[in-house]
Amino acid sequence: MAILTFAPLSWAQKLALLWLGLVVLAAGLAPVLPLPYRPGVPDLAHLAQAPFGPGRHWLGTDPQGRDVLSVLVFGARTAMLLTLPAAVMAGLLGAAAGGAAGYWGNTTRLAAPWWLLGVGSTWWALRLPVPLLGLVVAALGLGLTLATRLYRRPVPAWPVPINAVVMGAATTLDTIPRLVLVVALAASTAVSQPVLLALLTLTSWPYPARLVRAQMLRVRALPFIEAARAAGVPAGQIWLRHALPQALQPLRTTLPLSIAGLLALESTLSFLGIGLPPDVASWGRLLATAREEPTAWWIFLFPSILLIISMLSLNALGRQRRILG
Amino acid sequence: MVRLVFWRLARTGLAVWALASAVFLLSHRDASAALLLAAPTAFDLGATHTAATPAQQLAAQRAVQQRLGLDRPLFYLSRNANPRIGRVQWHWNGRRNQYHRWAAGLLHGDWGTSFRTGQAVPARLRAALAYTLPLTGAAAVLAVLAALALAQRLAAAPWWQQPLRVLLTAVHALPLFVVALALLLVFANPEVVAWFPAYGLDQSPEVEASAWGHLATYLLHLVLPVAALTLTAMPELALQLDAALARELRTGYATTARAKGLAEPAVIRHHALRNALLPTIAQVTELLPALVAGAVVVEVVFALPGMGRLLAEAAAARDYPVLVGGVLLTGAARLLALLLADLLYFWADPRIRWQS
Repeated sequence: MAILTFAPLSWAQKLALLWLGLVVLAAGLAPVLPLPYRPGVPDLAHLAQAPFGPGRHWLGTDPQGRDVLSVLVFGARTAMLLTLPAAVMAGLLGAAAGGAAGYWGNTTRLAAPWWLLGVGSTWWALRLPVPLLGLVVAALGLGLTLATRLYRRPVPAWPVPINAVVMGAATTLDTIPRLVLVVALAASTAVSQPVLLALLTLTSWPYPARLVRAQMLRVRALPFIEAARAAGVPAGQIWLRHALPQALQPLRTTLPLSIAGLLALESTLSFLGIGLPPDVASWGRLLATAREEPTAWWIFLFPSILLIISMLSLNALGRQRRILG
Repeated sequence: MVRLVFWRLARTGLAVWALASAVFLLSHRDASAALLLAAPTAFDLGATHTAATPAQQLAAQRAVQQRLGLDRPLFYLSRNANPRIGRVQWHWNGRRNQYHRWAAGLLHGDWGTSFRTGQAVPARLRAALAYTLPLTGAAAVLAVLAALALAQRLAAAPWWQQPLRVLLTAVHALPLFVVALALLLVFANPEVVAWFPAYGLDQSPEVEASAWGHLATYLLHLVLPVAALTLTAMPELALQLDAALARELRTGYATTARAKGLAEPAVIRHHALRNALLPTIAQVTELLPALVAGAVVVEVVFALPGMGRLLAEAAAARDYPVLVGGVLLTGAARLLALLLADLLYFWADPRIRWQS
């Protein structure tokens, strides 16, 4: 199967994988690593101290007296816990939405009883006036569905504009640059780590959705889908088991790039002081303190080197795969 | 053609409106924070001569609420929990709500007033754009020109083709704020070289300076931000154009041109370039909304009072009218970009011209 075969890795990719593995390992083991200092605890006796100075601050301290090494390790943890789930969730959401939009388009029809069921249960769930009415409508829809199953009568069906809805939502989110959108939305809500994760996911799904939709439009017309239809496989099963695995191909190559984009976005947000609360360690926030102390080269150098190598590794993974696959 | 462009503009216009509405509703849902941040200005007036009793404080808070228009319900419908019956109820608010007031004001050309300064929103946006547009415009023009020049040289396959491609890819991977910070810490740092000022464009200049002096300081302030923006925007354009040119040079018409005896630069410039430009046009028009929104990062790093910093500060200070105004303006820029892209395609590709 195509998904399980991997192209041979070049040496640059092996290096990249090695580096990313190291970062992930350090991030995962951060709480148990034998670090001399915790990230949030300032050492007021050693402010803005150069590396290898007194006090076991191997990579120096920032102007608030926080240990650079532990901020780096815990910053990697913050970055990993935000970008990895956000990229995966955005990919899944985009795959589901784009896959449905590409496979069914605007023309798929849903029988009237299902519509009744949906409208009725939404009515009840939102507690619109007289919620009991919603339950009655939903029950009517359910009854009609069962009845049509039993008697096999043709019922009127109305089209569901899946494609229009998904593409409209994607266009809406794409109208302004992602950074500006996240800044505007982060202002409106009290931001914690889960909220920021949701925000990043919600603003990043349109790109994978477009990719999967484009691929699905191609896959839909291939002979094996036709064969599955002719064999009488239900439409939902064809979509999930046969079409979607093929349509997910482009996501395999763009996942590292998507993680790289999210890493840049996350560190930019914390550099600007928007998003995560100030006591959460992050590379961007450490870089922001470099402006207060222009002489402290170590505050700028170490996090930016980490960030740059990580970005280059992710890019190498994404780029090489695209050429090979 | 005209109908197609019209429908695309209409769809995007609807999307802009939906996005601005979503930002408006989401932000105003949390109006108490805006009240807290806006309230001290009102309290400072009252607290100087009377010790505020709780009743007075409440009255002052009400006054602020009324002044900002936050006393009305948010939307046509509101959903509030009714403790008496023990479940939520929907309530129809009629046209006396914040959203209706904002939308109606917008249709009459009233963008609202800033919560923080009491200025009209268009005035603040205009003041910020006066700083942002020269900065980002210069960066965009430079980036496009540099990309055009580099891609044409690269297509001729000199010995430095591969190293430069690797370098461009590496620069492309860097986040903007790292580049900006590196430039700041190297070229505006008394410890290294202080060739350029690090901040201070918005501070009042010396009175005795002449017009040329003003211009010189202005340009000196813009060098580093423009350099940072150009460096991060250029690689993507150059790499894309380079790939497109390489593709076009393998086609039959390029071979024909070479067989006629044309030199390689002439083949690139007069035959391949125009066909390779089509995807780049889309990329360049993508830059336009980013131009208006300003490079948030660069303006924060170099302390320029532009659009991006205005939006970031409005977000931090919960100054919602400015925030929503900025989102709308950026959306308008996107509309303009779409129109421009279609016109440019029309100019660049005769096939599109003949079909319509």
